[in-house]
Amino acid sequence: MNEPLYYEDADIGDEIDAIERTVSLEQVRTFLAIRGDVREPSRFTDIAHAKSEGLPYAIVPGALNSAMLAQLLTSWSPTVYLKKFEVSFRRPVPHNTELELKGVITAKHVMDDEPQCDG
Amino acid sequence: MATEEEITYDRSQLGVEHHIGTFPITRDMILDFAKSTSETNPLYCDEAAAAASEYGSLIAPPTLCNIFVDGLKRPDIKLTFGDVGLFASQAIENVSPIRPGDTLEAKTYLKEVYEKTGRSGKMVFVVWETRFTNQHGDTAVFVRDSFVRRNNPKK
Repeated sequence: MNEPLYYEDADIGDEIDAIERTVSLEQVRTFLAIRGDVREPSRFTDIAHAKSEGLPYAIVPGALNSAMLAQLLTSWSPTVYLKKFEVSFRRPVPHNTELELKGVITAKHVMDDEPQCDG
Repeated sequence: MATEEEITYDRSQLGVEHHIGTFPITRDMILDFAKSTSETNPLYCDEAAAAASEYGSLIAPPTLCNIFVDGLKRPDIKLTFGDVGLFASQAIENVSPIRPGDTLEAKTYLKEVYEKTGRSGKMVFVVWETRFTNQHGDTAVFVRDSFVRRNNPKK
């Protein structure tokens, strides 16, 4: 966890500290098991099943990718509270692939007396 | 049933709210979520540090509710297009913290259905909005999910 940052410390154009993640099959299985009702085989854990659905490989669940992308912001500073979060999924993410997550501050504003940054 | 630009689905579902589940939040659920996503923020994975924080206990990472909305118990809108479905996009708004011991109720409704044509051909997007409220009746999270349906290129 980085040092605390405050609204005055962030400027438009500032880069958010990049983080790296690699997702294993074991992590995918743990993630899927949280909810229960694990369906096997699935596109998330079985290559043959993924290929039967037209995918090139077993993929990391989109919700797991979202969680890691959110960490880019919540690990940036202990003072960051993630209020709104939007993500578009552009291509499937395979297991065991090094991912670099990075971002930049695109706007700053105060809404209802609450200082906010967009990134 | 309605047909609009070759998309056929049950349009009567548009805007109709459905209760899709009750989800008790546990300590283990939060810790497993943190472990499986390589979480490092102590608010979500270190009980002692979280207890000493302004929240007083572990809280759920901001996207925890995704595990409940990802393809779960939504009404069948009888969409006739496509044989492969994928997550396309998502928006989450966190309103109040979620803690171990909370019980969330989720209600969802079909917001829109529309089509686009991309490099891989025609795709149909189905957008749902879901609201999670806690046992006190307070809204915890809003989630908007978009799923894309397309034809399997291998067939």
